[in-house]
Amino acid sequence: MILRLSWLLLAATVRAASLSLQSPRFTISTSDATQLRSDTLSLTKKPEPLTLGATDTLKLTFQITDNDEGKGVQPHQTFLRFYDKVSGEEGIQPVRVTPGGKAKFELNMARPPASIPPTTQNPLEVSLILGSFVHAPAKYDLFNIYLPASQTPAEHPDEASFHVLPTIEHTFRPEQKLPPQFISAVFAAAVLSPWVVLIGLWGKVGVRVPHLFSPSIVPFTVLLGGFEVLLVWYWVDLKLGQVLLYGGMLAIPTMFAGKQALYTTGEWRAGRK
Amino acid sequence: MRLLSSAFVALLAFARLSFAASSSGDSVLVLLDTSLDRENYSIFFGGLEKRGYSLTFRAPKDASPAITDYDVPNFDHVIFFSPEAKSYAQDITPQSLVGLLSEKTNLLIALSPKQTPLTSLATEFSLILPPPETPLISHHPVRSERPTTIPVAVSSSSPLLTPGIPPVWFSGAPHALGNNPMLVPILRAPAESFAADSTDDTGADGIVDATEKGGEGLWAGSQMGLVTGFQTNVNSRVVFAGGIDLFSDEYARKELPSGTPSGNSQFARDIATWVFQETLTLRIDSVEHHRVNQTEAPEMYTTNDEIVYTAHISSYDSRTSTWKPYSGIGDLQLEFTMLDPHIRTSLPPVPGSPGAYQVQFRAPDRHGVFKFILNWKRKGYSYLSSSTTVPVVPPRHDGYPRFLSAAWPYYTGAISTSAGFFLFAALWLAGDVKGERKKGSKAE
Repeated sequence: MILRLSWLLLAATVRAASLSLQSPRFTISTSDATQLRSDTLSLTKKPEPLTLGATDTLKLTFQITDNDEGKGVQPHQTFLRFYDKVSGEEGIQPVRVTPGGKAKFELNMARPPASIPPTTQNPLEVSLILGSFVHAPAKYDLFNIYLPASQTPAEHPDEASFHVLPTIEHTFRPEQKLPPQFISAVFAAAVLSPWVVLIGLWGKVGVRVPHLFSPSIVPFTVLLGGFEVLLVWYWVDLKLGQVLLYGGMLAIPTMFAGKQALYTTGEWRAGRK
Repeated sequence: MRLLSSAFVALLAFARLSFAASSSGDSVLVLLDTSLDRENYSIFFGGLEKRGYSLTFRAPKDASPAITDYDVPNFDHVIFFSPEAKSYAQDITPQSLVGLLSEKTNLLIALSPKQTPLTSLATEFSLILPPPETPLISHHPVRSERPTTIPVAVSSSSPLLTPGIPPVWFSGAPHALGNNPMLVPILRAPAESFAADSTDDTGADGIVDATEKGGEGLWAGSQMGLVTGFQTNVNSRVVFAGGIDLFSDEYARKELPSGTPSGNSQFARDIATWVFQETLTLRIDSVEHHRVNQTEAPEMYTTNDEIVYTAHISSYDSRTSTWKPYSGIGDLQLEFTMLDPHIRTSLPPVPGSPGAYQVQFRAPDRHGVFKFILNWKRKGYSYLSSSTTVPVVPPRHDGYPRFLSAAWPYYTGAISTSAGFFLFAALWLAGDVKGERKKGSKAE
């Protein structure tokens, strides 16, 4: 308040007179000249927000006078300021004033002037800024206006990298689906079923193994068992190279043991022993 | 003798480093126009010298000291206080100044309503200047000064300014800002101000005409910049100030219309500390990545690995001239990209370990050459960027699960066959065949 008072005091000393706004009036009409709304503007209280369609025209008229003499004057600066409070966008439109102080401004939304800022769903605050070299300046908040939303202005290609970007989550392939373990167990049992038949038949026939621990048979049987163990080990842990190495090492004694076993069996079968 | 002199040079260099207030060195070249008096800027220059900068003065047309020798900059920072100089010595051209910036030299440039080589340089930085000889005018607020001497409120939205700076006095030319995101607006014009060349009220029609013609347009309103910074991709900084008086002792001491002292000296100091890389200077010290529960970076990752990525960031502290761990970035993001980002996740600071930012994520189930990309750009701050290439491979032949329940029948089949073969071999070799022998003996 003190600040404003001191400015007023300054105004009194520096500039002789101040400017004032007379008979401000607005009219909104459609493209076929039908009047939608027309009213005088109060400088103390903002009217209901104005709404302008895509082809409507807003007409604003007022007169600027000298406070002391009441005569119309043409100030240096007569700007309409359109300001979007939310986005911070601003547009300044100079208004032509006659030497008699009369001013008329037309905003045709079919051909909007370049000074109108990019608009969104939010209203624009419209104010009138008056400035002069000889008079004290003035600023009037006139009204709020809803304009049709404009296209978003072109962005610099690098603009996005200056903001937080949306997070991206990778969509993983779904986990492999396995059949129920019960079904797997049933089929495993089915695979084993021939053993039942085999053992049953053997039971009937009666198997005799008199030479099982014969010194010429046992080494081969043990080595063959070694191969089986090696293959199981391969499945569980070993790498291919290791399997080939160990298998190769096992193969040589197995070859001789096998030859010996076959020879011995042949002798038995031929009845020589 | 040579050894002694080199040791002396090394000592000098060390001494120079240890006193630097700026993270990029403390030697400053001031190009001061011959028409300007150094004493008029004593508060600004004195403040710089007090903070440890060594100032070298030179007139724009002097040939020495040269800005660069054999394309190597001789100074860490250059101040252009020659807003009206139309011609410079041969080593100063817009091209050479762009070259300086890419060599990480910082520039502070004062402009004026006059057209000079520096105004055409400003155009290259997306600043759109009004026609020559149209200074900024504002009839608001009512004051005893000329309309071209304007108190401008300092917005607190710029991170490089000390909060709560009182309005500053300004006179000079405004500029419109292009949409380049590298621009850092520092001081915006008041909403009531505009650029015009008229000196009395009869110029009103000229302003409307210029706007309606559309060719020149109108430089008006708070979207215009008065002082604007620009940070290049190599993190060198340049500031364009619309007028030189902003830095003058006269404006620093001049009272505002409200009777309080102006904010010019603090504002000029804030600009200088930013442009000379004292404030908002960040760097990535190191990045590391490894599988979870490991510490060493592997040669390659397998798809679906859980990866831990850590970045260490520090900021420059001009009071102690050291880099200190900095955990103040809340919106750091990490991208894991192969051509396109497959994963973009936030990289939050680790509580309790200053300067460290860490995230754990699962590698995508796509194999290829991936990059960890850290690219943080915010207006006013040094840009942080880092890229680390790692291969992501599918699992090896033995990297898949071994014992699937779905394969139980196959396992039992294989084991059963093996066991059957073993059993058969043992039985056949060890068994006794009845009747066979009789047959054999018969034949014999």
